[in-house]
Amino acid sequence: MSEEVKKAKTVDPNSAKYMLNKIIEDHYAGLKIAKDNGEKIGWCASNFPQEIYETLGIKVGYPENQAAAIAARGAGAKLCEVSESDGYSNDICAYARISLAYAKLKDVPEQNMPLPDFLLCCNNICNCMIKWYENLSKELNIPLILIDIPFNPDYELSDSEFNYVKAQFLDAIRQLEEITGKKWDNDKFKEVMENSKRASRAWLKATSYTQYEPSPLNGFDLLNHMAVAVCSRGKKESGEAFEQLAKEYEQSVKDGTSTFRAEEKYRILFEGIACWPHLRATSQGLKSRGMNMVGTIYTQAFGFDYEDFDDMIRRYCSVPNAINLELSRDKRIDIIKNTKTQGALVHTNRSCKLWSGFMYEMSRQFGEACHIPVVSFDGDQADPRNFSEAQYDTRVQGLQELIDAGRGGSI
Amino acid sequence: MRTVNEIFEQFGKAAGHPEHMMKQYLKDGKKVVLCAPVYTPEEIIHSMGMVPFGAWGADKEIEGAKRYFPAFICSIMQSILDLGIDGTYDGATAIVIPSLCDSLKVLGENWKYAVPGIPFIPMTYPQNRKTEAGREFTKNSYKRVIKDLEKYSGEKFSMKSLAESNKVYNNHNHAMRRLSDMLPDYDFITPKQRSDIFKSAFFMMKEEHTALVEELMEALEKTETKQNSKIRVITTGIIADNSDLLSILEENNMVVVGDDIANESRQYRVDAPCIEDALDSLVEKFVSMDNCSVLYDMDKKRGDHIVNMAAEKKADGIIILMTKFCDPEEFDYVMLKKAFEKARIPFVTIEVDRQMVNYQQANTIIQTFSDMLN
Ligand code: SF4
Ligand code: SF4
Repeated sequence: MSEEVKKAKTVDPNSAKYMLNKIIEDHYAGLKIAKDNGEKIGWCASNFPQEIYETLGIKVGYPENQAAAIAARGAGAKLCEVSESDGYSNDICAYARISLAYAKLKDVPEQNMPLPDFLLCCNNICNCMIKWYENLSKELNIPLILIDIPFNPDYELSDSEFNYVKAQFLDAIRQLEEITGKKWDNDKFKEVMENSKRASRAWLKATSYTQYEPSPLNGFDLLNHMAVAVCSRGKKESGEAFEQLAKEYEQSVKDGTSTFRAEEKYRILFEGIACWPHLRATSQGLKSRGMNMVGTIYTQAFGFDYEDFDDMIRRYCSVPNAINLELSRDKRIDIIKNTKTQGALVHTNRSCKLWSGFMYEMSRQFGEACHIPVVSFDGDQADPRNFSEAQYDTRVQGLQELIDAGRGGSI
Repeated sequence: MRTVNEIFEQFGKAAGHPEHMMKQYLKDGKKVVLCAPVYTPEEIIHSMGMVPFGAWGADKEIEGAKRYFPAFICSIMQSILDLGIDGTYDGATAIVIPSLCDSLKVLGENWKYAVPGIPFIPMTYPQNRKTEAGREFTKNSYKRVIKDLEKYSGEKFSMKSLAESNKVYNNHNHAMRRLSDMLPDYDFITPKQRSDIFKSAFFMMKEEHTALVEELMEALEKTETKQNSKIRVITTGIIADNSDLLSILEENNMVVVGDDIANESRQYRVDAPCIEDALDSLVEKFVSMDNCSVLYDMDKKRGDHIVNMAAEKKADGIIILMTKFCDPEEFDYVMLKKAFEKARIPFVTIEVDRQMVNYQQANTIIQTFSDMLN
């Protein structure tokens, strides 16, 4: 990687990195301004349909994103302990523990976020979310709107589930109109949908560059950029920033450069949420062996490309944690094939029962189907105490050996 | 006329040896359908002439399930899967798994591969259950269960039989509630005996269980009531059936005067109302359920519900039995704690799981609690 590009990335306001960081900064700043101006703001689950509040012109903050930021900046354990002293078990998802601690402390310099006037919950990623938001609602004494998107045990989405979810989308809009006094506008919805489609397509395009050998990007970059896909998909600027990101990757392919600052000797799928408190250690453990993460389900997770309101609902019913083992497995198989990964490293995430609960079987199946080795390690996305660098290193080493030996199998 | 103790013996047998009960039903030519926690539409299975059989796991060491579940999934799920893998459930026609918590969602997915011989039937409940759309969705999910049951068992469903089964279940609910109210008046009944009544209900046809419960009530009515020196406690949690734990309560002079346990009284609070469409009636039953950690409740009323129960039952204290790795209960815990503190009701928390062998710590906690309440 040339110095020139490195410098450009930190200062060039036209670079994707600058644009993406700015979107997140503006997101948090905009939230604060709205709150200071007396507007009603919400806290929102990462997979709650953002088209709803974006169309209504309502600002929301994302506790999961905030928790990840707090954890990445080293305050995960401190906040988890605050919740634990209130009686929350240390077995509960660390995002929830951090968020509930923040709701109590109300000031955490690692990442502040104005307190909400209402809550928007969607359990398409887990039911833990419902319990977490119930408690926030009770503690903060504010209304909670739940869009319940049940886990779909079938490969296809049934009309029954679709109808149930659609009714809730409409209900949520009505309830939000009541709470905020703002009105739904179909033209505005079309605009938001266009923005979201544009951002999603650009995100999918940018992430598709991991298919190149070598990849023009270190897959860990995506974990940072993802915040925009989570928080600001419905904004015009997000589409522009992801388009710029795709452009940069395209250029890198031409120039033969990459943000993966090592020789790409191995291409792997990383399964699961990042270990935010140990991002450096987990990334370094791979880089030092020339392993680049070129496959991740996040590439698909935030690609919300749809044609109309109904289509959008279907998309929210099919996010990664809402679908059955077979569909989840097939999605991984597609990624593995498209990105030509040689092995999979699976994060058995102590915080996430749903994501880890059938991962052993699912990863065995995609490993066998693609003839690649699968190795797992124990970690946590936000509680630093549930990760051992030594174990991680041994497992990554094991993966490397299995790939070298040209063997499938799992550890 | 059998004595109280003879009747208890029968409850104890069924509760202590579900595998014998299942074998007997199979031997009698009955089809058995496994019912996973927390709320399974047993009435549907019953109405099709099959035996709905509770599958809440067992106190056993986990072996085969380790290949599927990471260690941080609750021991109830771990042991259900393990019993499936080790052949204990062989001969069952299917398993119905409602996906009311994240661990239950993943149980079904693992089951398909770990226990391929027993088909998995998903029962997907809504969390926004009190709306029209929620009701419709519940009904459609029931219909799906019916379709799958017909496919795997070859039996036929009829609304008429469901209406009959709803009545059988309502009668059972009624008997269980009445008995639960009566039991505190007879404080010679041990916590283990009480637990056996509730536990055995999962392994018997409900009409048989109702008859036994009624027989017990009749026998009790002829017995002199006794209630004086014992410490009156209420239990709350998912399960409370471990014999060691129950003997600790007994040794410490405690009597369970009421419970908010998922596989005890939470099952019997609500009846299926008498309405024309028997399936709608079952929907209404589910819709009216409340005060349970796996059912969405923005107002978190469960704490107050238990506080009221404690007042009504004149309880001296509450024992929270926290199933390890059960996040629905772990989240509720903080709210329960606040409600109990506010109401100034003494309580203790004991962490339980199905692999627990050493009850030393539980013993110490209960002893201290009992001293305090005395
Ligand atoms: S990490 Fe898992 S349990 Fe926690 S909020 Fe995300 S999906 Fe839910
Ligand atoms: S409700 Fe709790 S105990 Fe029951 S299956 Fe879910 S996690 Fe396990």
